[in-house]
Amino acid sequence: MGTCMVKMPRKVGHAHGYDDDYDDDYDDYYDDYDDSEDAHRSNHDMKGNISSQKLPVAKETARKPIVWSCSICTFDNEESMVVCEICGVFKESFVKSGKEANGIGNDTAAGSMSTMANTQPGKMPVKVAAKEPISADSYEKASMSYERGNTLHSTSTAQKVEIAMLPQEKKLSQPSATLSSNHKLQENLSDTLATTKDSSEVIASSLRQINLDRDRPSASTPISDEQYKPDKWIQLDQDNEALRQLNLAIVGHVDSGKSTLSGRLLHLLGKISKREMHKNEKEAKEKGKGSFAYAWAMDESAEERERGVTMTVAVAYFDSSKYRVVVLDSPGHKDFVPNMISGATQADAAILVVDACIGSFEAGMDGQVPGVAGVGQTKEHAQLVRSFGVDQLIVAINKMDVVGYSKQRYDFIKAQLGVFLRSCGFRDSSVAWVPLSAMENQNLIVPATDARLTSWFQGKCLLEAINSLQPPSRDVSKPLIMPICDVIRTQSMGQVAACGKLETGAIRAGSKVVVMPGCQPATVRSIEQDSNVCSVARAGDNVAVILHGVDSSKLMPGGVICHPDFPVPMAARLELKILVLDVAIPILIGSQVEFHIHHAKEAARIAKIVSLLDQKTGKASKSAPRFLKAKQSAVVEVALDEAVCVQEFSKCKALGRVFLRANGNTVAVGIVTRLIDSVQ
Amino acid sequence: MQLIWKNLVPDGPGTVKLKPVEDDDMWHAYNLICPGDTVQATTVRKVLREMASGGRDAERVKLKLEIRVEAVDYDKEGSVLRVRGKNITENEHVKIGQFHTLELELHRPFVISKDIWDSIARDILHQASDPAASADLSVILMQEGLAQLFLIGRSITTVRSRIETSIPRKHGPAIAGYESALKKFFENVLQAWLKHIDFSIVRCVVIASPGFTKDQFRDYLFLEAQRRDLRAVIENKSRIILAHATSGYKHSLKDVLESPNVMNLIKDTKAAQEVRALKDFFTMLSNDSSRACYGPRHVEFANDRMAVETLLITDNLFRNADIAERQRYVHLVESVKDSGGTVHIFSSMHVSGEQLEQLTGIAALLRFPLPELDDLEM
Ligand SMILES: Nc1nc2c(ncn2[C@@H]2O[C@H](COP(=O)(O)OP(=O)(O)O)[C@@H](O)[C@H]2O)c(=O)[nH]1
Ligand SMILES: [Mg+2]
Repeated sequence: MGTCMVKMPRKVGHAHGYDDDYDDDYDDYYDDYDDSEDAHRSNHDMKGNISSQKLPVAKETARKPIVWSCSICTFDNEESMVVCEICGVFKESFVKSGKEANGIGNDTAAGSMSTMANTQPGKMPVKVAAKEPISADSYEKASMSYERGNTLHSTSTAQKVEIAMLPQEKKLSQPSATLSSNHKLQENLSDTLATTKDSSEVIASSLRQINLDRDRPSASTPISDEQYKPDKWIQLDQDNEALRQLNLAIVGHVDSGKSTLSGRLLHLLGKISKREMHKNEKEAKEKGKGSFAYAWAMDESAEERERGVTMTVAVAYFDSSKYRVVVLDSPGHKDFVPNMISGATQADAAILVVDACIGSFEAGMDGQVPGVAGVGQTKEHAQLVRSFGVDQLIVAINKMDVVGYSKQRYDFIKAQLGVFLRSCGFRDSSVAWVPLSAMENQNLIVPATDARLTSWFQGKCLLEAINSLQPPSRDVSKPLIMPICDVIRTQSMGQVAACGKLETGAIRAGSKVVVMPGCQPATVRSIEQDSNVCSVARAGDNVAVILHGVDSSKLMPGGVICHPDFPVPMAARLELKILVLDVAIPILIGSQVEFHIHHAKEAARIAKIVSLLDQKTGKASKSAPRFLKAKQSAVVEVALDEAVCVQEFSKCKALGRVFLRANGNTVAVGIVTRLIDSVQ
Repeated sequence: MQLIWKNLVPDGPGTVKLKPVEDDDMWHAYNLICPGDTVQATTVRKVLREMASGGRDAERVKLKLEIRVEAVDYDKEGSVLRVRGKNITENEHVKIGQFHTLELELHRPFVISKDIWDSIARDILHQASDPAASADLSVILMQEGLAQLFLIGRSITTVRSRIETSIPRKHGPAIAGYESALKKFFENVLQAWLKHIDFSIVRCVVIASPGFTKDQFRDYLFLEAQRRDLRAVIENKSRIILAHATSGYKHSLKDVLESPNVMNLIKDTKAAQEVRALKDFFTMLSNDSSRACYGPRHVEFANDRMAVETLLITDNLFRNADIAERQRYVHLVESVKDSGGTVHIFSSMHVSGEQLEQLTGIAALLRFPLPELDDLEM
């Protein structure tokens, strides 16, 4: 046994001999409770650490903008939404939503004023400007540094009021034409109810339950989002842009042909040079993987080529007649779902690729191993992209060549998958179905030529389907938020670039920004998109931002680039509303999970199960249940190992959507309803 | 642990002299020593002397002190136990009632006296001095950009090294950056390996990760071992095994221990038994939730109805400073045993113990369903 003592080098300075001889220096043994002081000191150190991380986060006021409450899930949608963000149900009449949202009158400014009084007690902009001239002032100063030459920014109180009232006015002018869609709503509803007989129906209905507590008080801050006034250049020529950017995620089960399809599209649209393609073909042949030639355009790393599996999200660009498309090819393999999450959070729309082959489609639906209960990645991905807020989907039924372009097979898949997609909250009208073959180039950028397909399919080809997608809305009226997906360092030039999609706001060369976490100020040196320099990037754009004056070691995926006056909050303890997916093992108090939010990932545990939510009403049906089972929705508290950049879903969707994973599966999706220990 | 002598009455007072000889023993000692016990050990204390010249001189003296324990601190990094309390031995340098901290270390004997040697304390003593083979096993748990090197002993798991590197995702021309970053990461892991893994101590080394990182690293390791002639790696290739893990975070260590090829190697150990017991609990909870419960309130509810078949409990519940609380759990354990149930006392220094600790520290599998549990708030 004696030999065991020297096992491994020990970290603390206890290199003294182990004999019973006490000649060593024992300075520690000085007096009573010396070590308790030590403990104190280390405690203090820890505090020091935390405080050094303290960030001057501007916690926002309870921003209760003009909302309408969904009749089905009671989710508070923004005024501009025609359908419910969560469940896709159409908005009801203006009158009703007006009532729900704090009893606003049906007309005139009086109503608007009362809304303001109701929704922002004590936080009326007028007051801010009058009573706290300092904060208004500092805001003014800061925004001047952000963008000089902004003439709109005068210090006049009157103008401030005007600014703050702007959205209210918008609300009033919103047509109440939605009344007519009431009829549609009924249809939509009964449609859903009638078709979702299968078990996954529960998911749909519970997704609808996820609503927000409107009346929870929230701390106030000196500067709230409402006070943000976008600078002039941000809005300039927003509409006469030649091509709009569309972030398109390609998702689906492993081996369904995602990489081949993306590679093929790029090739057909002339984005891959002949030389490159030849090289890929040659190399693929040499390695005996001829069929992967197109996939290699996407799977660039040696490891991926070797294994024939996409591991990380590949980004590529092509132009259609309507969009500048950013293709995010994601990994389908179960182990790489976290990478897929990171990629797909940027998506405006998605192509769900399914393999039409007998057996393969089924594996994508029910999991890879026959007989073992589980969810295939076709289902998991579909659920995930929907909960990212993606509501437009193109289902590419690939490898139709293998099934002889059979209509029967197509119909079967469409029927099976259609039910599931509806249960995830996709509306039939936002799902396009395209049978195709990436291998034989059928129905990709031009309509199919194979008679076996043209005989029964006259719909859109893939490219047309892409062009028919609704353009993503771009929110430039809010302060800049750009979650960092990736950081690229070029050693030679010592440059560092952050890649990602702008969720809100805009930037241009010279803009001052702040990088969270760490609250580091930085300046935008230049902006690139697909290796082309561009002058401005606005909400919705997927770009690489080359930053200046930032400690590149502190720039990490999972961080967020913000407007200097509106840094996003950080928190390590959150209240969530979640929907538990098809899990075998129930979620318990103390369950360990991986917490995913935008591009951040953190180890976490369920600290508390606050209450179970009723499937039908969305109201708490039981407090402190002992565990959560599949398909239940609930309010829980999670404790993260480290704080992440996060925002309540009601304030920023992109920073408020979460995914919990455990044992290699996504166990729950949800939204952030409260930051419990927001780090300031 | 060497038991030098023992003089105790079960469930009565007694004294034992022990000498810890391996890292694990410090953990046993930590679980054994409770507030209220007395501990005697040799220690060093600095004392001030008035000199004839009128000046003062500080001198270190070695003394034997016995203290009544008020608090115990475990330093897992250094395998040191700090026992704080008031002196109870008459001594020329330290007054009775004065505070002192004893530092217990490997190979330094100490004497512990308790008023009551309850069944848990006797169990620890028994386990600690049981010379069953230790489960020394090294696990390198990794995912792209993060690697942790663990040493799993009989009752403790320690992190020997943690390597974190940011690896860029691929973006066209930056692909070269991705691959060189990955290489550098692997090199760092290899360095940690060379520093911390000693095949004369560990039975085997498990490389675990989601995806292919583990294969990639193993390839790198073997290639470099050839190139640099790393004998320790080359000669022990057969003792290096791969396992799947769902992530690179510590809690995935349980996946690794559960995987059949690893389980085979360690099945007789405490760590493996704990992994299995917890797995059984989750299986029961998934299949027949009314026959499993957790949390003190629910477990006691079940025990009152003689329903507990297997009790899972972490050692730190017995370490409670509140003696009544400790008694509560001691009684629970005894009562489960009396009614024919099995008790697993988990080491909170192993992953499964850590996991159980998160789940309130106590759980049970039941003999018969108790649907009433659903109506009882946690
Ligand atoms: N027959 C046929 N094979 C295809 C088609 N599309 C892709 N494949 C093959 O399916 C395999 C997997 O493709 P890959 O693009 O790597 O799939 P991913 O995992 O979804 O990215 C490769 O061998 C492709 O050649 C198709 O339309 N028809
Ligand atoms: Mg792929």
